[in-house]
Amino acid sequence: MKWLNLVLRWLLGGFFVYAGVAKIIDPAGFAKNIANYQMLPHDYVNLLAITLPWIEVVPGLLLMAGIWRRPSALAIAGMLVVFIIAIGSALSRGLNINCGCTGTVGGATIGLTKIAENIGWFAMAIWLIWKERD
Amino acid sequence: MWRMVQRAVVLTLAGAVLGLVANAVSPRGIPYRTPPKVVAPPGDYIPFAEARQLWEEGVAVFLDARSHADYMAGHIANAFSLPTDEFEARYPEVAGMLAPDSPIVAYCDGADCDLSHHLAKRLRDLGFRDVRILKNGWTEWRKAALATSTGAQP
Repeated sequence: MKWLNLVLRWLLGGFFVYAGVAKIIDPAGFAKNIANYQMLPHDYVNLLAITLPWIEVVPGLLLMAGIWRRPSALAIAGMLVVFIIAIGSALSRGLNINCGCTGTVGGATIGLTKIAENIGWFAMAIWLIWKERD
Repeated sequence: MWRMVQRAVVLTLAGAVLGLVANAVSPRGIPYRTPPKVVAPPGDYIPFAEARQLWEEGVAVFLDARSHADYMAGHIANAFSLPTDEFEARYPEVAGMLAPDSPIVAYCDGADCDLSHHLAKRLRDLGFRDVRILKNGWTEWRKAALATSTGAQP
């Protein structure tokens, strides 16, 4: 169990660090990705593009380092819920847009696969909240 | 449980603060408030008063980018119809009126209407150097109660 938790923490934490850094590299590009979802008032798009990548990186790093594991997993789980809703909403409105999940790197478009991926990450986060200490 | 939630909130806030600080010092930083959408560079728009003056002096050619039916129903007096959607077909009708240096004012209707932008681009690509867009032209023109007409090309 210890090993499994360690692997999950590194996978999930590492993915969030990667996703965050990819967005930090190109904030203007990420802002465009957010704007494409058409869910946030135009004025606040940049603010989210500036803060969200770091909100991902911080718990990602802590999860890998083993500090505040459950709060970090909870913060990540919360973000994943928002991401799943955002992608679902965009799909239901027939938008064919770049996910922006890992910034402008990769350039995957949104789809049910993306939702499935995020549900997978979400399950890992829930597992860690449940099984980890601290 | 409660402590976990509190800490998760602290983490999120810490991330947000870091992001704000990082953006301030980063060479790739972006404005905190999203800049307004720019459809055309500001220089591409002609202020209403200037458009009106050019029209009164008869210096500029006004081109209506809306559909031909909309044009027939009502347009700025002396404007010609050049619908963006029928550009190829209708361009010969107005080509004789235009010289590379003629001031051209393209308009459509509604602040979000981009037909005039597309029209302006087509014309610039053809080598016309002085093409500008009268934003929300048809509405603004009627609001100012300036001369309009209906029916076919003048």
